[in-house]
Amino acid sequence: MKLVFYAGGTEKENLQLDRAFVGLLNKKNPVVAFIPSSSYLSEQEFKAFVRHYSKFKITRFIHFPIDVPFDKTMFNEVMRSDAIHMSGGNTFYFLNSLRKAKLLPQLKSYVQKGGILTGLSAGGIMMTENIEMAGYPEFDRDENIVNITNLSAMNLVDFLFFPHFKNSARYDVAFKKYTRLHEKKVIYACPDGSGIVINGTEMRFIGQCFAYSQGHKFPIN
Amino acid sequence: MNNIKKSPIDEVGKRSYTAFSRLNGEHPFKSQVPAGRVEYKARQKKGGKVAFFNFDLAKDMGLIPRNHPELLNPDLEKEILETFSIVIINEYDVINKIKFPEEEILPHTFMATRYLQLQHPDKSGRTSGDGRTIWNGTVRHNGVTWDVSSCGTGGTKLSPATNIDKKFYQTGDPSISYGCGLSEVAEGLETLFFSEVLGQNNFKTERVLCIVEFDKGISINVRANANLLRPSHFFGHLKQGNKETLKQVADYYIQRQIDNKEWEQTTFKSDKEKYFYLARQVAKTFSETAAKFEDEYIFCWLDWDGDNILMDGGIIDYGSIRQFGLFHSEYRYDDVQRFSTTILEQRQKARYIVQCFAQIADFLTTGKKKSLSHFRKHPVLKTFDDHFQVSKDQNVLNRIGFKKTHQDHLIKNNTALVAKFRKAFSFFERSKSKRGVYRVADGVTRDAIFSMRDVMRELPQLIATKERVLDPKEFMEVIKSSYAKKSDLKVTEQRKRQMVRFQNSYMGLIAAIEKDFTSTRGQMLLELTMRSSVINKYDRVTGDSITYIVEKVQKLRPKLTAEELYFLARQFKSYQNLDPDDKHVTSGETLSRHKNIMQGLYSIVRECREGI
Repeated sequence: MKLVFYAGGTEKENLQLDRAFVGLLNKKNPVVAFIPSSSYLSEQEFKAFVRHYSKFKITRFIHFPIDVPFDKTMFNEVMRSDAIHMSGGNTFYFLNSLRKAKLLPQLKSYVQKGGILTGLSAGGIMMTENIEMAGYPEFDRDENIVNITNLSAMNLVDFLFFPHFKNSARYDVAFKKYTRLHEKKVIYACPDGSGIVINGTEMRFIGQCFAYSQGHKFPIN
Repeated sequence: MNNIKKSPIDEVGKRSYTAFSRLNGEHPFKSQVPAGRVEYKARQKKGGKVAFFNFDLAKDMGLIPRNHPELLNPDLEKEILETFSIVIINEYDVINKIKFPEEEILPHTFMATRYLQLQHPDKSGRTSGDGRTIWNGTVRHNGVTWDVSSCGTGGTKLSPATNIDKKFYQTGDPSISYGCGLSEVAEGLETLFFSEVLGQNNFKTERVLCIVEFDKGISINVRANANLLRPSHFFGHLKQGNKETLKQVADYYIQRQIDNKEWEQTTFKSDKEKYFYLARQVAKTFSETAAKFEDEYIFCWLDWDGDNILMDGGIIDYGSIRQFGLFHSEYRYDDVQRFSTTILEQRQKARYIVQCFAQIADFLTTGKKKSLSHFRKHPVLKTFDDHFQVSKDQNVLNRIGFKKTHQDHLIKNNTALVAKFRKAFSFFERSKSKRGVYRVADGVTRDAIFSMRDVMRELPQLIATKERVLDPKEFMEVIKSSYAKKSDLKVTEQRKRQMVRFQNSYMGLIAAIEKDFTSTRGQMLLELTMRSSVINKYDRVTGDSITYIVEKVQKLRPKLTAEELYFLARQFKSYQNLDPDDKHVTSGETLSRHKNIMQGLYSIVRECREGI
């Protein structure tokens, strides 16, 4: 299984993560598909995405919005691509769209077959068991604009991912409380520019990250 | 800020927004073309409130400073209302000796202009023109003179109702609709949302400066453009053989174009040179416009009277404007007495308008009005035809995603290849459903079945990833629209051949650029991928979507302030920006209560994206 979790931040801040991602690709002239969390202005996001990854000599890209109907030809190509990137945005809206398009199992199977799945912020949360972290803590959450109640996501990993983390007391209080209540759960909280790279059985943290487990906080790196 | 004017006749120096003082009814057309207008006294209309104000446009026009906050302060609101909340004292009022308080009557008269309109029984422009519109005046800023006119300011004697029924109507008479001289908020909103999107995407168009709202959805909708003259302003006097007034209109128009730096040539050795230059300018403008309307699926109901379009090819009167999502080229609007033209017939109507300008130039030069048929082979029509073809080539290359330098290069050096691609493109674009012609709410149509936007957006991505062109099944999967039934999608031998032609010529165009600009296929496909994804955006407004959006906004409006409506319109415009070179497109800051509204508007656009 090959996954990359991006917490957010600028292109410069994510340089190390990008290098790790390109390392996973390990292929000449790969195809990368871009799945925006919403099609709204996604053409602009796609353009920025292409411009950025062109710097890594990637030249083949697919723009694949999933909250609008798509054709089979395009879908087949996405499933054949070397990597799929899920963008940031409203996590509830994104999950709802992925579910409506029946893409959650398809993406899971794509990963199991060796495809690289990367996600930024909401896209990263999508690869975990559920998207509870998008609605928690109360002071820093996405609005559930689609009013979904089933928050289960791809469940590719056994941890929860919290992007855009700011190392502060109020987050500490919130995450310690959460992991006391949910003893078996581990939250990896990652500030902008940091993230997690999973390559088979190997898991690597890039930048300074934090783990919360059973009411305790553990700095990583 | 306390020294704001107390009445419209206050001295300019005492007003907070002095530029508004020029919108007092005085307009150069009044004196330069005396027989081209009817003048009315006007009075303040009470009970109005500002439903919308276009801060962005007002800044361009110099009505408010560039750094003015996008907030409607009490002074500005008062200025807008005092300037635009007016109603004319029309013939009915005069005949019936209706008295109005002296202090409400404005010092200057306001003009309604005369122009040809085919729905008038006279058919020669003697009785037709602005039926419910007056011109507020002009403002000049940054070297551009702007015309400002207001719709819904009372019924004039130039309205069709007055001339068909041979009586004058009181403004607001409930027994007639269009002739009553009023307009509605919904009309203003429709123009606002449509014109802001089209204007941004390089269509010339009138724009909404503000909407002043009254009870029961009635409004005064204020429009602005750098020149609000239409071909029909010329045609009425041409029909009547009135050389003197026709010359005045032409000279007035030419001077404005020169003053606004719209024309390259500004001095002329003779009248002949001047008026034929005008005809050539019209030929170029209308050939570009006709090609753009065809290629962007704009239905504008161009007709021989030249009423529904501005002299610069700009869109005016959005009531009958539509943008189709697919090339529904057999749609006709049902106007009770007759059906409209189709998109494809617009070209001939535009050409006819150009032919009329050849006739005008000759009439003004020789003093003799020859029959229109005399000009059917006039060189100016060749200018139109040639320019139309070049515009069509340019448009199709733009839809592929080629940047301007590449478009020009291909048009100059690979004409045959461009023509070959256009032919194959057109084959699919014009394919129609087996369902045939059927009635829709406001006319008749026959469905187009292929989405050219989809294929132009996806093709470079798919060719790059597959490293080959698409097979017929894949191509059909990409190009089919929701209007296509199973029976419409048979991959016949003819279609297979056309798919090959389409993709081979597409790749040929890319190869030509690769060769001449020392680029690689990968780079070219990547560039086209990025540009075409914006140009051929999945969600694009259609006429139906605008109608539903206006309905939705109308429902929300009691709770929306003028500023909120401005922000929503601006955000909507940004969402519909199809310029691949614009680096400033962002969603911007959205108030949380607006997010749901915008989401609703996007859903409507998406839902209607292939419709009419």
